[in-house]
Amino acid sequence: MTNFDLEKLLGAAGADPGCDAAGELMDAYCEAIANGGPVAPQFDEFVRHMRNCTACREDTEGLLAILQQQKESDER
Amino acid sequence: MSTAALDLESSQWLRDLNANDAERNEAIERLHALLLRVARAEAARRRASTSQVRTEEIDDLCTQAASDALMAVLAKLDTYRGAARFTTWACKFAIFETSSRLRRQAWRDRNVEPDESIWNRLADTKPHALRQIENEQLVSALHRAIDEHLTERQRLVFRSAALDEVPIDVLAERHGTSRGAIYKMLHDARGKLRRALIDAGYGDHLP
Repeated sequence: MTNFDLEKLLGAAGADPGCDAAGELMDAYCEAIANGGPVAPQFDEFVRHMRNCTACREDTEGLLAILQQQKESDER
Repeated sequence: MSTAALDLESSQWLRDLNANDAERNEAIERLHALLLRVARAEAARRRASTSQVRTEEIDDLCTQAASDALMAVLAKLDTYRGAARFTTWACKFAIFETSSRLRRQAWRDRNVEPDESIWNRLADTKPHALRQIENEQLVSALHRAIDEHLTERQRLVFRSAALDEVPIDVLAERHGTSRGAIYKMLHDARGKLRRALIDAGYGDHLP
């Protein structure tokens, strides 16, 4: 069993705000990433939740993809 | 946050959605169109993982997701604080509604039953002999901790979500609860297992 397997099973160590609280931060996090800015420390626990929760990670990837499409559309 | 602190476009959305009937209805139509586009884009992005879902079902699903997302946005309008643009905030609801439905639809004909063969797959067969023994001991300790330290419900959720990779939206639907509640149960179970493995001397192995 690798460290990757163990993290998938047990999650990353440290505080995890859970799906509801992470969902509250998702839009601001995605805009920060889409704008290419640094990710503020306020998102540390959000990022940990993304490592631990597949559903929230997929949703965040979805929102990032939408912002990317909007950005490309605005640039055209 | 007052609307004055928002970007111009977000302020305009809030004004329109709080305006009189005609302007409000027009804004709701625009918002619904945006949410439907987002739902369809998300369904297209996830097509590879939902190939078993028929195209017409996906279109229905996107329509329902956009409608529910619209209801959620309107119901939560007072909670919008402007941490992101209004459209980003609103799109989040469309993504959530669409992805939850797609996961549930993809699993609709599948049972959520513990798969005992997972324990054989977890023990890595590639490392050299000493590592192989450590792996097997760690897997045994984890197996034992699951049996001895988790409640029946935690065991079911942990085995389904972490071992068998059943999406937590699917578990939430089948247990009649929310994604957040299932995740909380998974999180608590992981905490108990982590502590049990540390107590059993495997602290150095944990991520």
